[in-house]
Amino acid sequence: MTIPGISPLLLRAGLNYQLRHRWQALLALVGIVMGVAVVLAVDLANSAARASFALSSQQLQGAATHRIVGNAGEVPAELYTRLFTTPGHPPMAPVISARVEREGQAGRLRLIGLDLFAEAAFRAELPQAIRGETSVADWLARADALALSQSAADALALQLGGTLSIRYQGQPYTLQLLTISPEHSAVSRDLLVVDIATAQAITGMQHSLSQIDLILHEDDLEWLKNRLPPSVKLIDIEQQTEGIVGLSAAFELNLTAMSLLALLVGLFLIFNAMSFSIVQRRTLLGRLRALGVYPAEIYRVILAEAFVLGLVGTLIGFVLGSWLGEGLTRIVAATVSELYYEVSADAMQLSWLSFSKAGALGLLGTLVATWIPARQAARTPPLTTLSRAALEDFTQRQLPLLAVSGLLMVVIGLLIAFLLPGGVISGFAGLFIVLLGAALVTPLGLPIAHGLLRRLPLGGVWRMATRDLKRHVSRLGTAAAALMVALAATVGIAVMVDSMRSSVSDWLQDLLSADLYIAAEGFQQDATLPQAVVLQAPQLIGVAGFSLYRDNTVQIGHHPTRMVAARLAEQSQAGFDLVAQVDANPWQHYQQGELIISEPLAYRLQLGPGDELLVPTPQGDRAFRIAAIFRDYATEHGRFFIDLQHYRELWSDPQVDTLALFSASVDGYALQQAASARFDADYALQYTDARAIYDESMAVFDRTFRITEVLRLLSVMVAFIGILSALMAVQLERRKEFAILRALGLTRLQVSLLIMIESSILGLLAALFAIPTGLALAWVLTDAIQLRAFGWTMPFLLTAAPLWWTLFIGVSAAWLASLYPAWQASRRNPASQMRED
Amino acid sequence: MKIGHFLLLLVCLLPAACDQSNSVSSDQTNSISVSQRMGATPDPGFVRALERREFNFPADHAAHPEYATEWWYFTGNLQDAKGAAYGYQLTLFRVGLKPGEPATDSDWRSHQLYMGHLALSDLDRARHQSAERFARAAAGLAGARTQPLKIWLGPWSIESAGADLFPLQLAASTPQLGISLQLQAGNKALVLQGDSGLSRKGSGAGNASYYYSYTRLPTRGKIRLGDQTLAVSGNSWFDREWSSSALAADQAGWDWFSLQLDDGRDLMFYRMRDKQGQAQAFSNGVLVGVDGSVIRLGLDSVQLDVLRQWQSPEQTTYPLSWRLQIPGQQIDLRIEAAFDDQEMRHTVRYWEGAVRVTGSHKGVGYMELSGYAP
Repeated sequence: MTIPGISPLLLRAGLNYQLRHRWQALLALVGIVMGVAVVLAVDLANSAARASFALSSQQLQGAATHRIVGNAGEVPAELYTRLFTTPGHPPMAPVISARVEREGQAGRLRLIGLDLFAEAAFRAELPQAIRGETSVADWLARADALALSQSAADALALQLGGTLSIRYQGQPYTLQLLTISPEHSAVSRDLLVVDIATAQAITGMQHSLSQIDLILHEDDLEWLKNRLPPSVKLIDIEQQTEGIVGLSAAFELNLTAMSLLALLVGLFLIFNAMSFSIVQRRTLLGRLRALGVYPAEIYRVILAEAFVLGLVGTLIGFVLGSWLGEGLTRIVAATVSELYYEVSADAMQLSWLSFSKAGALGLLGTLVATWIPARQAARTPPLTTLSRAALEDFTQRQLPLLAVSGLLMVVIGLLIAFLLPGGVISGFAGLFIVLLGAALVTPLGLPIAHGLLRRLPLGGVWRMATRDLKRHVSRLGTAAAALMVALAATVGIAVMVDSMRSSVSDWLQDLLSADLYIAAEGFQQDATLPQAVVLQAPQLIGVAGFSLYRDNTVQIGHHPTRMVAARLAEQSQAGFDLVAQVDANPWQHYQQGELIISEPLAYRLQLGPGDELLVPTPQGDRAFRIAAIFRDYATEHGRFFIDLQHYRELWSDPQVDTLALFSASVDGYALQQAASARFDADYALQYTDARAIYDESMAVFDRTFRITEVLRLLSVMVAFIGILSALMAVQLERRKEFAILRALGLTRLQVSLLIMIESSILGLLAALFAIPTGLALAWVLTDAIQLRAFGWTMPFLLTAAPLWWTLFIGVSAAWLASLYPAWQASRRNPASQMRED
Repeated sequence: MKIGHFLLLLVCLLPAACDQSNSVSSDQTNSISVSQRMGATPDPGFVRALERREFNFPADHAAHPEYATEWWYFTGNLQDAKGAAYGYQLTLFRVGLKPGEPATDSDWRSHQLYMGHLALSDLDRARHQSAERFARAAAGLAGARTQPLKIWLGPWSIESAGADLFPLQLAASTPQLGISLQLQAGNKALVLQGDSGLSRKGSGAGNASYYYSYTRLPTRGKIRLGDQTLAVSGNSWFDREWSSSALAADQAGWDWFSLQLDDGRDLMFYRMRDKQGQAQAFSNGVLVGVDGSVIRLGLDSVQLDVLRQWQSPEQTTYPLSWRLQIPGQQIDLRIEAAFDDQEMRHTVRYWEGAVRVTGSHKGVGYMELSGYAP
């Protein structure tokens, strides 16, 4: 075998070395494989989730360039008729969309009502679904005609002619499958296509539409603008960000954070594996130098070797990563389906970008990880290279410098995350730098630990073990840093999720202060309360106060934004955590028509108390002064409260969705009894106490973050295996040393103990470094990245659980890693082991 | 006699039609063969034209949803100020999807569907452009009403100015072409076709339609071809027909002529063809005198011969030059397409275009050839 610029002899020497040290070579390979696999798996799952969302929204959006939406959520159907009968109208299509439930089953389906004749220009796929066996007469005249894609029919196990029972806001409706589109479009698995008249019948939107889709050219804009009433808004779909159909930003952030974690862990695994493989070979390299081999030759042969190893590792990593990714994708798809839309794992394609990312990491990471120690080894004078002590001296001298630059990086990282503009990206960049900086500091922990532990009055093996920490910094330092990174990342995310959960929980408890909530059956938007209930409920015996709510959506900026028109009892007002207010009496201003807006909305629009918010009303845009800003996690794009009385005047909408009652006594149940006795005979109402709403909300929160748990566990597992292999490699390299110790009279138990103690201390050290690092990461994640992503601020919460977990994982990984070397060192005949090398 | 007989059957082919509901170009080729649809029979729930009826105007100018199909059919030959000649066609078809009233669960639910065909022929440049659109007769998208009369499909409309049918305003446009025409009553009264307005189309009870025409309506207004808007004037022909009948199994289509002769007389004749291309006894026509007097024409009184065939880009062969003789009336006409390609390539494919009349009399007119496209 000849490779240009590399002596075949040297190459053979290198390969022979690797063969003789099969274990080490194998463990280095495991490091690379694991690193590549975890990055690939997480990235595949993430990109698949995103791609499937993009496809799904594209399919719904079709060729439309613009969309007319209502300021109060719905578009009057009469507007469509008026435009449709006006000469020169652009291509347009009416749309009614809704989420429905399948009778007796969990999960939601999308119902979309379309006008067959308007669709051709917009969504080619959907009219195609109406082709086939059915006639237009059936499609238009039958009230139960349903079209599905083949994949949707399969998913719902429906044959042609089969019926599907659905519920919309509690109301049942039965559809019959009249036609199946032959196109296999996996993203439309949950899409029920019906005629617009049927959709109106199901949703009860008798005189309104969800939206009007349009294909507009320059001239049409002018034509249209003069014809739109102030109660609607024209939206440029291309300018609209993911707000309507995209992944929830929280979920997206989750996935990004996980990708980053995987990338870091992978990088460190590879770095650790490769740098160790060089370090342990310094003696061989020194001999070669002494024999007259040029540094450049050594350098090249090492890089060539690393390349081969990196390539093999990357390829195996691809296989393993694809396999892991498939499983992960299924979990992500399940979570996405539960929270948002039905997506299927088979709709998710392998992303070449994911492979290139993981491949680049595997190859470049391996080369870089090799390059640094190889250059060092090649440059050092041969005699020095031969000496292990010289290496350790050198490494130890470097440690303070490394640590100082590490600390500097931590500071710079924090500055970038908190001060640099640039949104979530600079937040993540800062996070990355903080983590790298902390990794550089970690090796310094080894001599420090030695310094501390040697003062303890401990026995011989203990003393030897602590001294080893210092003596083997060159080998153990990187391993400790790698373990630290993996642990810190998991601590950071765990603490972030904990903080979020507790903030959301507190916020919900504050906001859900009423004793009883009454809504029309269905407890969803659009189901309004009968006027009689609204008038009579506050008169019930035992009511100390009441609040009324009317939920709506208005378009503010590029996002649909929730507008809550509310008459708020004092008890309700007290539940708001106001983070900024115009003066001491914001609620007085509120009653005079000013707004209380949520923190995300304030952050998104850069508004403060006293500023004005432009709100589209049926009378056109109107500026409202902002009285206060409240802490809120309800929506990502923010929401605002407006006094109900003012809302009614402007929107001419007398409806109320929800009524909250405060009890004079402590017994909320008595209130429900009273309300039930008064209203149940006449109305279908739903009574909910705050606890039930709270539980439901927290369940949704937990579902959102369940995927985080899964990914985190996967990362921990991979880190665990990686660390295990790294530590095992370190200990196996020292077989000869242990044999000498045995020969000098140490018992089997003592040698095993030595190895296990050493490893455990290393694990503990990594965990101890990981905790502050992880907290710093959590701080960046909650206070910098979340704020930038959502405008949320949340109090930082520290619970002990993730910290104990970290210590446990760190120590146990290290301890487990020592078992095999300890067993081997104690089992084998020291004489034969000493001869081996 | 109009293309509308096929509309009954259109109901089953509309999914394809949807593909071009917004299409406006003249060269759409995604059409459906007429003959494929011939076997279908209308839902028995629709009323059939079994016997003569007392026409009741203006109510009968509007829609008859108890019948399966119906149309308002306008054709005409126009000239601009420079003498350049144009032909136009505007037809609104009503298609009953199902008999009876629709469910009341939605404003958009309807058993009625409207289809519109708009065409302009630029005779000097031999350029034919056409468009098609659809809408359900619900939520005000399309429909018909009296007092004053208005038939509309989106922005395409046929509308009386007041209580009287005339003047009648026609308006229809697409980005490529448009018409805005006013039709006056002229000197000739309404002509009841067939047997006092009951026009038999085939054997079997109820294979007939109610059919009346206005054969010569002085017309003025504007047409638009691309960016060019032209003031025009001329004469229009207005056909009204509704029925629940379909072609019999042995019938292939028809050839229909509406001619306005220079001597002031108007001639309508349609020939029903069987699948062998032979004329059937149900063929029928009228000769309308200058004073509005009507002479009925049966197959035996008219001699019709094809002089020239033309093959369309879609490989359909149409007879575009004819000799029409009515020996009893000393009429011997040569009817020639004003230019060849006036094929309507839409959901239903047929040839409908302006013709020139020479021979014993000169004149202009429109010709419709159906059942030729495969």
